[in-house]
Amino acid sequence: MSAAAAHATRVLVVEDDPHLAAGVMENLRAEGYEVSTAGDGEQALAWLAGHNCALIVLDVMLPGIDGFGVCRTLRGQGNNTPVLFLTARGDPADRVRGLESGGDDYLAKPFHLQEFLLRVRAILRRWDWYHSASAAAAVLRFGGNEVDFRAFRARAWSGEPQELTEKEAMILKVLAEHAGEIVSREDLLERVWGYDVFPSTRTVDNFILRLRKRFEKDPANPRHFLTVWGVGYRFLTEGEP
Amino acid sequence: MRATRVFQLTALALVAVSAVQVGWWILDQHAYTLEKVRAARTAYAEQTRAAQALLDAGTPAQRVQQLLPGIVVSGGRAALSTEREQALTTEERRRDNQYAWEGGFFLLALAVCIAVIAGALRAEAHVLEEQDSFLALVSHQFKTPLASLQLSLETLALRSPTPEAARTLIDRMLADVARMELMVTQILESARLERGRVAFKAEPLELSGAVARVVAQLEERARQEHISISSDIGPGLYVASDPLALDLVVRNVLENALAAVASAGGGSIALTTRALDGEVELSVRDSGVGFRPADSARLFEKFTRLPGRGTGHYGTGLGLFIVRRLMEVARGRVSAHSEGVGRGANFVLTWPAAAPEPRT
Repeated sequence: MSAAAAHATRVLVVEDDPHLAAGVMENLRAEGYEVSTAGDGEQALAWLAGHNCALIVLDVMLPGIDGFGVCRTLRGQGNNTPVLFLTARGDPADRVRGLESGGDDYLAKPFHLQEFLLRVRAILRRWDWYHSASAAAAVLRFGGNEVDFRAFRARAWSGEPQELTEKEAMILKVLAEHAGEIVSREDLLERVWGYDVFPSTRTVDNFILRLRKRFEKDPANPRHFLTVWGVGYRFLTEGEP
Repeated sequence: MRATRVFQLTALALVAVSAVQVGWWILDQHAYTLEKVRAARTAYAEQTRAAQALLDAGTPAQRVQQLLPGIVVSGGRAALSTEREQALTTEERRRDNQYAWEGGFFLLALAVCIAVIAGALRAEAHVLEEQDSFLALVSHQFKTPLASLQLSLETLALRSPTPEAARTLIDRMLADVARMELMVTQILESARLERGRVAFKAEPLELSGAVARVVAQLEERARQEHISISSDIGPGLYVASDPLALDLVVRNVLENALAAVASAGGGSIALTTRALDGEVELSVRDSGVGFRPADSARLFEKFTRLPGRGTGHYGTGLGLFIVRRLMEVARGRVSAHSEGVGRGANFVLTWPAAAPEPRT
């Protein structure tokens, strides 16, 4: 990340432990990010109501509303700011819960500083890609559907308006960039989530099912989101003849 | 543990099967009695018919009654005697009653067994669940200072900070280590309290002396945090408690008040006592961050963290839990009151009063 870009990047750190909050803040500042902090979920939501940031580093076990609750509230309000969860509970079930509540990545405490910084960079890079790709091609039309990547909104062939989650929008963006080509599940995971976040590639399949439900006339016989058995998916803007 | 559980479940199954068997036995015996009575009635009906046949054939009534003792003849008609009829009904009722009482008693005994075993199983499951959630909470509590410690160390290693920045990091690490050490002590303390393994020797203790000792030890810290402590404690008030427990309770409540006032940026703490009917009360009132009135009971639970306490508070989440348990052991109680967040708090400790006793 260039110095100029880093200068404009603000990160919100939501952590109730003052030492950990200070340590995370100092390190992010040393990397060139601007940092704001909040001591609990209510403070974080109040700050986010009036400010924007590129990333939220969110502790799970907060007093009052927990981190999952904060993330769900944000997503419910249509706020798609990426979230990196920090938590003392590192079991897989908890990971899945975090990601299902709308988080982008999940790091168990105690964590390695360099891994933390790497993940912050990875999330921001994915979002940089998404934003620049969306700026270049903001609208995707296929089979009577119209998707606006910047607004995370779409209108389905039936005329029904659709609110896309940021993951759905990102998957669609990756597929659209490679329209007609085979994209493997691993590639999708890598581009949309980063590396070892999800326990299985099955999650990708679930997201594809959701996209089919939104945009296919007959989700059971897809014409745009095609499964390539054993490999991944192929997206066709024209629809399979 | 596992073997006990298997044993308990087997016993529960055996008792349940026995209960079903007793129930079946009662029904079976009832059916048997009905069957017997029905057979007797059939036999008597045959006798009555035979008697009628004899009468119709011209046998004198007296002779018929001699041959068939259960039959009475009146006006040329044979019938079963009322005594026989009543004896049958009585026997049926007697047997049914006997089975109902005996069977009922066994069923009751078995039901009690089932309740006792099921209760023990439930209690055990509850204990296991509590232990699991306690372990989960404890490990979470440790992971936060550990994460902070690791972060500080890796920052030192990665960034080659200025001497001042390094000093800040080292102070932070020392504080994290101290926090973990305090947590270990308090976790052991609360575990011992939970299992009731405390050597608690209640003796009459003078409250003003005990409070003055704790206040003296915390005064320096209070001064640094811009907190004034005033105590108005009358002499001659004696409470029944263990000396170590009394010290720990007063210290934990006072430290909690210090943290609450420090979070508010300074203020005051006032300690007062009064003698009530057979009890002695110590009130610790602070001008600190307070809490929502609805949270007053939750304060004394393990690892409770309340919103709005602000940063800079390094509680282990066990201090007030230990206070509550120790006050229970001392047959006293503790309560907390606040008008709301930012409006201070008042903690009240109440002990049974004790008569001063000359030490031997």
